[in-house]
Amino acid sequence: MFIEGILAFTLASALLVFGSPDRYAGKLATGLSLVPLVGSVLMWLDFSSGGNALLADGNVAFQNTVDWFTFTFDSFELTLQWNVGVDGVSLPLLVLTTVLTTLALVSSWTPIDARQSQFYGLMLLMEMALIGVFTTLDFLLWFVFWEAVLIPMYFLIAIWGGPRRKYAAIKFLLYTNLASLIMFIGMFSLIFGLGDAISTLSFTEIAGALRAGELGSFAGMEAETLRLFAFVLLFVGFAVKVPLVPFHTWLPDAHVQAPTPVSVMLAGVLLKMGTYALLRFNFTMLPDVARENAEIIAAIGVLSVIYGALLALAQRDLKRIVAYSSISSMGYVILGLVAFTPHGMGGATFQMVSHGLISGLMFMVVGVIYNATHTRMVGDMSGLADRMPWTVGIFVAGSFGYMGLPLMSGFAAEVLIFIGSFQSTVIGNAPLFTAGAMFGIVIVAGYLLWAMQRTLFGEFSVETDYEVGTAPVHDIAPMFVLLGLIIVLGIQPDIIYEAIQNAVNPLNDPLTLAVDFFTGGELQ
Amino acid sequence: MVDVFNFVEAIALVPLASFVLVLLLGDRMPKKGAISGIAATGFSLAISLWVVLDLAMGGEVYHEELFTFVAGDDVGVELMFGLLIDPLAALMLTIVSLIAFLVHLFSLGYMNDEGEIGLRRYYASLSLFTFSMLAFVYSNNLLMAFMFFELVGLCSFLLIGFWFRDDGPPSAAKKAFLVTRFGDYFFLVGVVAVLGTFGTAAFAGEHSFIIEATHVLDPSHSGEMNTFFGLGEQAWITVIALLVLGGVVGKSAQFPLHTWLPDAMEGPTPVSALIHAATMVAAGVYLVMRMYGFYALSPTALSIIALIGGFTAFFAATMALVKQELKQVLAYSTVSQYGYMMLALGGGGYVGAVFHLTTHAIFKALLFLGAGAVIIAMHHNENMWDMGGLKSRMPVTYWTFLFGSLALAGIFPFAGFWSKDEVLLETLQHGLSGEPILLVGYGFGAAAVVLTALYTFRMVFLTFHGDPRTETAEDPEPIGWNMKFPLVVLGVLSAVAGVINLGAIKEFIGEDALFLKKWLEGKTLDGELGSLSAKEYHHILESDYAAGYEVTEISPLGPGALALVLALIGLGGAVALYRGSEPTPHMTKLGRVRTLLMNNYYLDEFQVWLATGLTAPLARAANKFDQSGIDGVVNGTGSVSMFTGQRFRKIQTGIVTNYAALLTMGLVLLLLVFALMGGWF
Repeated sequence: MFIEGILAFTLASALLVFGSPDRYAGKLATGLSLVPLVGSVLMWLDFSSGGNALLADGNVAFQNTVDWFTFTFDSFELTLQWNVGVDGVSLPLLVLTTVLTTLALVSSWTPIDARQSQFYGLMLLMEMALIGVFTTLDFLLWFVFWEAVLIPMYFLIAIWGGPRRKYAAIKFLLYTNLASLIMFIGMFSLIFGLGDAISTLSFTEIAGALRAGELGSFAGMEAETLRLFAFVLLFVGFAVKVPLVPFHTWLPDAHVQAPTPVSVMLAGVLLKMGTYALLRFNFTMLPDVARENAEIIAAIGVLSVIYGALLALAQRDLKRIVAYSSISSMGYVILGLVAFTPHGMGGATFQMVSHGLISGLMFMVVGVIYNATHTRMVGDMSGLADRMPWTVGIFVAGSFGYMGLPLMSGFAAEVLIFIGSFQSTVIGNAPLFTAGAMFGIVIVAGYLLWAMQRTLFGEFSVETDYEVGTAPVHDIAPMFVLLGLIIVLGIQPDIIYEAIQNAVNPLNDPLTLAVDFFTGGELQ
Repeated sequence: MVDVFNFVEAIALVPLASFVLVLLLGDRMPKKGAISGIAATGFSLAISLWVVLDLAMGGEVYHEELFTFVAGDDVGVELMFGLLIDPLAALMLTIVSLIAFLVHLFSLGYMNDEGEIGLRRYYASLSLFTFSMLAFVYSNNLLMAFMFFELVGLCSFLLIGFWFRDDGPPSAAKKAFLVTRFGDYFFLVGVVAVLGTFGTAAFAGEHSFIIEATHVLDPSHSGEMNTFFGLGEQAWITVIALLVLGGVVGKSAQFPLHTWLPDAMEGPTPVSALIHAATMVAAGVYLVMRMYGFYALSPTALSIIALIGGFTAFFAATMALVKQELKQVLAYSTVSQYGYMMLALGGGGYVGAVFHLTTHAIFKALLFLGAGAVIIAMHHNENMWDMGGLKSRMPVTYWTFLFGSLALAGIFPFAGFWSKDEVLLETLQHGLSGEPILLVGYGFGAAAVVLTALYTFRMVFLTFHGDPRTETAEDPEPIGWNMKFPLVVLGVLSAVAGVINLGAIKEFIGEDALFLKKWLEGKTLDGELGSLSAKEYHHILESDYAAGYEVTEISPLGPGALALVLALIGLGGAVALYRGSEPTPHMTKLGRVRTLLMNNYYLDEFQVWLATGLTAPLARAANKFDQSGIDGVVNGTGSVSMFTGQRFRKIQTGIVTNYAALLTMGLVLLLLVFALMGGWF
């Protein structure tokens, strides 16, 4: 009942904040958001990992299953369940959600100066939906939360966004909603194809049946075709969310128009919904199709990395730079997932968390600069280091984090993915794909160093007439929290990586090393 | 007796503590954090010396896993942090902490006394650098080495860009990080390849990747390693070795990735001494030394190293000939000297390379600090043509600088003479046994000896001799004890450090004086040093399945005398050209050659073009394609839907009879479909 408690409390706090006066809404929402934060951390402390929630021998923590009602079809019945629980994949993402939400709420205090109670209420509502996405284990229930995320997001961009907010919001909503539809068709064709092989829509049951090869034919498609058909639909549906090239064009528009805290949530958590779903559906339920098409998927990953990085290189708006970098970083996740090796999948999941923290940090720091200068264009400012030393220090640290500086979480994530994908026996010529994707670490250094040099260093000047001074403490503090987390996870990834490994390893091939007489790392 | 190895972690961790302390409290600390840095590096130096002493007294090599980075859940590769302190690491720890200590002292004069602001940032970065470098040196595996290698790069970025208010330093910092990052890309691919192939990145121990690689090359074990892309075992090992070499070429500023180092002179001069001469740049060649057993397996990789090294030694020396700024001459000289170390490593001269690394660290740190003293005296004017006559006005600086220059030029009996001699000798010995590429490298190296002596003494004459050419040079600012002390220490060492490995002396006294060689060989081949011993490297080098090098025994006297004569020719040239009270700028007579050299063979322009002329337009094209192509399709889909929506809206006329007609038509259609499908007809 712990998860239900968190969900209910978050929903109730959203409603409470909607009704509160604008003046207190920010502080109230932040205070209330501490409860799910503490709750998820308590879950984390109590958690002892036990395999993957979707596999039969997996051990789901905090699980609660209640039968709801039953659909009857011609030949079979499906029971809809309330089914929640977490494992080593979802719990880190849950904690990421609650941590980032609280920090994003604090970072809203400065920039959000109108209709505060609605803003903070929507933020909490979104948090509730996100928690639901990462904790539900029943397809229909999950889909409800999945769609519920879009509604507050739409309003958050459309009301508090920049000049082209209407366009960006509607593009975001239509694009991702269409993707949901495609994904939904894919999933339901699988469900009907399974027929009486399943009696509920629980992920575990669907995954078990699909992995056991119980898929029948549906709508004139044989099992083999149906698998591929459903895989493609699911993949496209989730690829929009991630986003992978070529389904990424909604992202920069949404980010540029969204206010800072919304960008933090968008990049930090919403994108991970896509990779999380890919892991849960495509790579867990239909691993055979993923393996058969591993080169194509890996190529999409490499393309996203390199193409996304090139796009970032061409941008002049700091926020666009960070937004396009996300595409690049998510490409690594895909490469890691499709490797089907311990460090590949584990590193990919770790990268989801790590990128959530780092991109959240970068959006915050760009937001703080914008609050002070009212511009985000690289050419419009220089020498900020003199006026806002703390902010600039964090900008530099965050950028190096993004570049994968060792002892920060991004390096751990990327190097694990690279090791994993290099060792992959599923992807043909895996070393070439790996080396191709890794070139992203050079390009990312190129554009971030360039942006830093132009904006932070040199003689101070700003095109706008605003007085540029040090940012208030409540703007700086959340960034330091993120930076601390990034460094702690960079020094000791195992804090979460052990649990992640435990959950993803059952999905992977046993590792075969190239040197077969290797016996372990004992010392002389 | 207390075991020194209880404290070895602290060699790096104490500077880390100093970093945190200075970062948090620097402004309130004495000398803005300098004292903390001096104490920390002094401590590291003391422990390092203790370690050296312990090893010299017959202590064991220290190898210990300390910290699990990623446990790997029993199925993935385990990633660890650990310490490996063998004679090589102990020597390097001592060098790094010694230079760091002296540079901290020197900074008191160079930075604090000059009233620089931002000192907290400066000393915090210096401490962080010392930590990263020391941790890199005692890393026991390749991944950990890579991690600290990168951190060292970060510190270099921070310190080059220290004066961020000007335009030059941030740009130079960016360039330094980016160019080395390009090299590190290959390095990281190499690290991943090592982990992917061998499942471990350990340098030492029974199952280090080096031992495993040696093992699979042994013909009796062929076929035990899966390689990639159908390559043979040795070919795959060569590929990995060359990938890692990418990082080495970047950090050690070898051709073609040397371009960042001269720009890095934008940083404060003590930083140039510490990072861009004595230690960080050494990280690259140190890495090759650390895994020399691996490189020795691949004759191709060795040849490439020797060729890159020899060529860089010569190539950089030509540019040093025409530079007008004091630090620029030293920068190109640094590139050139690291070329010698690479030449030695490629030529099978492991001991020679370590020897030259040691002496170079000392005399190059000395020269940079000396240059720093001159720069303070000249109020930050670095142009040598504005100097002259400083000899009598700053004697301590002059004499120590002269010692450093003699060492750099390789004049007997200064330290550089012995080490450069060793480098050339070992390359020659292996080259004469049927390795023509090594002879090419040797040729480059020998030619560079002349140039080295020439540019070095051009620098000495222009800076210190003749008449003062400006008012500042007439009346230079005096420097304090905190700058003189490090100069004197390093000056003395530059004169005598050759004593650790007196190559040619055996011919005279009949006894070996090769202390460094013995030090690196450890006690026995099968002793605890095992695979890390110079003797073992020698053994591998000469094995047929590995590099297959042979040694032609020649007396060290001949090559030694040749090197000395070449150096004296260069020195004589400098004396002939630049002595006298009013030296003439002879290099202008070179005309277009000089323009080419002044512009560094236009390599910088080429690299800038790669970034701004090639990658940037590509990125812009991608962006354009993205906006009009991909996003065009997306928005196009939207527009088409809107358009059709508007058209279809028109059937909603609001007239009931129209709806009734549509309903009827629909019903008829449906019935027809059912009828056809259900087979009613």
